[in-house]
Amino acid sequence: MTGFILRRLLLLPFVALGVSVLIFSLLQFLTPAMRASLYIHDPKQLNALPDIIRKYHLDQPAYVQYWDWLTQVAHGDLGWSETAREPVADAIRGYFPATLELGVYSFACILALGIWLGTQSAVHKDRLLDHISRFTSISGASLPTFVWGLLLLMVFYGHFGWFPPDRLSLAAGLAVRSPAFHPYTGLMTVDALLNGQWWIFWDALRHLVLPVATLTYFLTAVLVRITRSSMLETLRTDYVRTARAKGLAQRTVVDKHARRNALIPVITLAGLLFVGLLAGVVITETVFNYPGIGRWGVNASQQLDIPAVTGFALIFSGLLVLGNLCADVLYALVDPRIRLQ
Amino acid sequence: MTAVRSSTPAIPLSRTPSPGRTAEGGWHRTLRRFRRNPLSVLGALIVAFFVLVALLAPFLAHPTERNPFMIPHTGYASDPHPPGPGHPFGTTEEQFDLYYGVVWGTRTAFVVALSVVATAVAVALVLGSISGYYGGPLDELVMRVTDIFLAFPGLILAVVIVAVLGQSVRNAVIAIAVVEWPSYTRLLRGEFLRVRDMEYVQAAQALGGGDLHIITRHVIPNTIYPMLILASLNMGGIVITFAALSFLGLGAPIGYADWGQLISLSHNWIVGTAGDPFTFWYTLIVPGTAIFLFVLGWNLLGDAFRDVFDPRLQGSR
Amino acid sequence: MRTVTWIKRAAVLAVTVAVITSLGAPTVRGAGEAVKNPDTFVELQFGDVVSLDPALAYDIYSSEPIWPNVYETLIMYSGSSLDKFQPMLATEVPSLANRLISADGLTYTFPIRKGVHFHDGSVMTPGDAVYSIRRFLLQDQAGGPAWLLLSPLLGVDSTRDDSGKIQIAFADVARAVSAQGDNVVFRLKKPFAPFLTIVAAWTFVMPRAWAVAHGDWDGDPGTWQRYNNPKTEDRYAFDHMNGTGPFTLERWDRQAKEVTLARHDGYWRRPASLQRVVVRSVPEFATRRLALQQGDADLVVASLNQRSQLLGLPGTVVQDNLPQIAVQTLQFNFKINTEANPDVGSGRLDGGGIPSDFFADVHVRRGFAYAFDYAGNLGGAYAGKGVIPHGPIVQGLLGFDPTVPVYTTSREKAVAEFKEAMGGKLWETGFKFTIPYTAGNTARQTGAQIVKDTVGALNPKFQIEFRPVPSSTLISLLLAHKGTMYFLGWFADYPDPHDFAQPFLSANGYFPVRSGYRNPEADRLVDAAVGTADPAKRKALYKQLSMISYNDLPCLFLIQPVTYYTMRSWVHGWYYNPIFWGQYFYTLSKR
Repeated sequence: MTGFILRRLLLLPFVALGVSVLIFSLLQFLTPAMRASLYIHDPKQLNALPDIIRKYHLDQPAYVQYWDWLTQVAHGDLGWSETAREPVADAIRGYFPATLELGVYSFACILALGIWLGTQSAVHKDRLLDHISRFTSISGASLPTFVWGLLLLMVFYGHFGWFPPDRLSLAAGLAVRSPAFHPYTGLMTVDALLNGQWWIFWDALRHLVLPVATLTYFLTAVLVRITRSSMLETLRTDYVRTARAKGLAQRTVVDKHARRNALIPVITLAGLLFVGLLAGVVITETVFNYPGIGRWGVNASQQLDIPAVTGFALIFSGLLVLGNLCADVLYALVDPRIRLQ
Repeated sequence: MTAVRSSTPAIPLSRTPSPGRTAEGGWHRTLRRFRRNPLSVLGALIVAFFVLVALLAPFLAHPTERNPFMIPHTGYASDPHPPGPGHPFGTTEEQFDLYYGVVWGTRTAFVVALSVVATAVAVALVLGSISGYYGGPLDELVMRVTDIFLAFPGLILAVVIVAVLGQSVRNAVIAIAVVEWPSYTRLLRGEFLRVRDMEYVQAAQALGGGDLHIITRHVIPNTIYPMLILASLNMGGIVITFAALSFLGLGAPIGYADWGQLISLSHNWIVGTAGDPFTFWYTLIVPGTAIFLFVLGWNLLGDAFRDVFDPRLQGSR
Repeated sequence: MRTVTWIKRAAVLAVTVAVITSLGAPTVRGAGEAVKNPDTFVELQFGDVVSLDPALAYDIYSSEPIWPNVYETLIMYSGSSLDKFQPMLATEVPSLANRLISADGLTYTFPIRKGVHFHDGSVMTPGDAVYSIRRFLLQDQAGGPAWLLLSPLLGVDSTRDDSGKIQIAFADVARAVSAQGDNVVFRLKKPFAPFLTIVAAWTFVMPRAWAVAHGDWDGDPGTWQRYNNPKTEDRYAFDHMNGTGPFTLERWDRQAKEVTLARHDGYWRRPASLQRVVVRSVPEFATRRLALQQGDADLVVASLNQRSQLLGLPGTVVQDNLPQIAVQTLQFNFKINTEANPDVGSGRLDGGGIPSDFFADVHVRRGFAYAFDYAGNLGGAYAGKGVIPHGPIVQGLLGFDPTVPVYTTSREKAVAEFKEAMGGKLWETGFKFTIPYTAGNTARQTGAQIVKDTVGALNPKFQIEFRPVPSSTLISLLLAHKGTMYFLGWFADYPDPHDFAQPFLSANGYFPVRSGYRNPEADRLVDAAVGTADPAKRKALYKQLSMISYNDLPCLFLIQPVTYYTMRSWVHGWYYNPIFWGQYFYTLSKR
């Protein structure tokens, strides 16, 4: 097991290198003027283009720029993100907790809803509940995120005024940034509780409802499908038939015997789902003006902020490798039949 | 699960009848199982409907521009207009006709989704078969490369590619194909690994068949079903990714008949006017319904394919 | 058994619903007239601050907090006026009458106010003003605003020449701006009519001691070169502000895209009414509008085509038809770089493309000018909000003349011009090219559509297409002279006709550099018009320049736009001056 984990961890630098090479190789398609446009915020600054190209060495070939970046990273400096107006490392450190918070809450909801719905769907296969739940979960994946998000915003914020966009209300935001508040984790709900500020906790939670609802509706579909099919498979197996033949109640059969085994593929998926969340959060963050890493990543990509995109991609790919590793390890732990080679 | 050689080549090898049962006429059984599930039928009907609309597009909505994918518009007023004479679904921002947009958008959806799937499958066939069939260091290399691509958040990679190459439908297709090919490659490789060691392949090798011959005539046809499932489930997702790219200003240009582009235009109008938040409902509902039904149809169809062809559910009915 | 299960499920559902509604309940509000957050003013716009350093920022979103809210200048525009000034950090507005402008127009003396405190409590001296202005001139970041003062004071547009070498000497700078006793004295090389207005908009004052204490240039002649052309992040003043204005910088949260200002109680005039100001960037229009509706935002900035969704919201007021000193144009490229250029087709006059000098033919340009549907553009792309300009000197500027002729849509004239174009050959051969425009800019897309429709309707052999490109690509095309026609706008740096005549008509002006337009007569007139202080003379010269622009037709002047702001009705004290980059929060209050 340790050998397996170590070998997987060795993947990390390899993947990181590959990802960074991939991004820098895209530079071949960019003219120096296009890259310089990152520093042009107003058309009046156009005259300064040659100056800017010279200043930031943008006319150097891609491999020279890559080498410069590599040496910089070797000294622990991920570079400056022009789109974030701060060092890449600071930007990541600042944006990541917000996305993490959104992701964790969404993840919990997706798991709860997905597993429950999938199980019920499998147990009541082909009955009304099955059709309804399958239809609901599939329909949730059939529309672009921003449409759902904006509709939710329009109804629950515009019409009712219940759940606002952004991360915190004005008053809560000011309180959080005041010296009296200690940011322990960067997760607003957690920090609010740790600071004993219940009203900030409620405020943060209120702002999370709509983004979480948007994300949940989408990714639940996948989980329901997997849970359902896995559950179906388990319910047909011999030992479940035996349990039923022994006269055990349906509930017991499902809860005690079937579910545990059905959850094995779900665990694999859950690991990927979590990281997929972090990626899928991009548009949700834009719609709700939520200050997270997804929104920043897209902005950086659109404006060709190469250090930012690279830094962002590195963190992401690292997370994905670790996520996969966790899923595999969990898989091995849960299912004794699996041996990791 | 033991692999039992089937007597009729028409039955895909992945469907192995369990011992003690007779193999009924394969396709009849498939079709019957398909028909039994109302959701599958619904999915098939929806997809069939869209195929029809796509094929009949020039008749349903006469093109007036040189490029039939550009939506005609009368005048330049920017506010959308509700459904009325001449515009059965109304117009969106800048007077683009929604009916035309939805009809030709069906073509765009199919073209984009099929192009991406075709590209991904083509790449997967080459790389996946090499990787799965020959194994060894070649396999390792391909797997590591897919690792790298899969390690990159999909939408971000697509955004970067389009940002670099320039906004156009073609570049968006390339970008999405670059994001999708690893999944197909991995799937195909997995299938190859599974099939490679089967008896009939070994028999063919013993009989002296060339590698390419074996791959194309024996291995590929029997690995196509999982690809079919993946592709049909993917069709909807590709259209949604394309809509996301349009939302970010990196997909189809404004005025192009594309559902995603029409929806992204609607987001300026989604809060309506002061008295009525739903003033411009049609700018969202019309293309939104189209995209919704399209993806829904393919999802249901893909689910149905999986239910029908997935061997693990064998004997459940 | 089943009933129990269902009861359990119902209970879970009920609890969930109760929790969710309790989360939402506190915020249920009606149209509600009570002022929300009475001490804090929230503005929502949709652009990001680039830098808070007054010597380096050159875009409207950065400039809004900088001036006149946190940093102030020596003199200030009086109310909504663009040509009357009032004293600010100086105690008098220099003029010929009070002898503070020398008779030859080369020396300007500003007596500096005493008793003004910076935000850190230190007292402002003329030395601080001189230091700030010299810093403005000498830091000269690539793409920064330094040229605005470099040009009148030192006669150059940059401290560096084309190869990047320094081309000015400190001695020149020291002579150009210096402190004499209680005064700051400017010495110009040539008379420059708009100098006062540039001072009013661009001479920000920060404390020297504070800057030096945080690693900035110390004012020393020997060290300034090391501080020249900094990277944005190199300066402490990038994200820290210390000025004399009515607000201090409380915080710039780059992740929330929010600048927070706090009232400066030691302000040299009466302190502001607002305790706090928050300017936040929210790109999504729906979110901005909903925030305004809910009272969470007090003022919202939106684009013209969203105006209809902001009218009539209860509890809000739309400040409409606010004139801007700006113009949107459609530029011709007189010398197109046809190498590897996807937009010029065949690159020859053969019906399948256009040659490099296509737009150098005045008949071609006139054809486009007569064909374009200006009213349709105004109505469609700009929702009818704006006026058709009479050349580069727009309304609100000295020298604006409504009698200057404009090109009006006329199909017959367009046909006549095209028939004479390219030695009479164009009408038979036809042409084909593509217009690249900034992706996402619907106004420009409509404009391109109009060009295609109107010119295309004249002759089936006239084929025009248009394609959206990201701004990075457009910038690349501009640099390489590859575009065919460009939709470009120009916003005033300062409200003087020189800031329009020079960029549009001078050989080294912003637009002619890109288009290749040249007219030595125009150069001469531009220099003459800026060199005299006599308004009557200047008006006459600018009238001549407007006529040159009409005859030479370097570009089509499409519209002088107006803008609008939407705010809650509890906002009082708001006033508008077209030269402000954003809001002036000093006079605002919420009641």
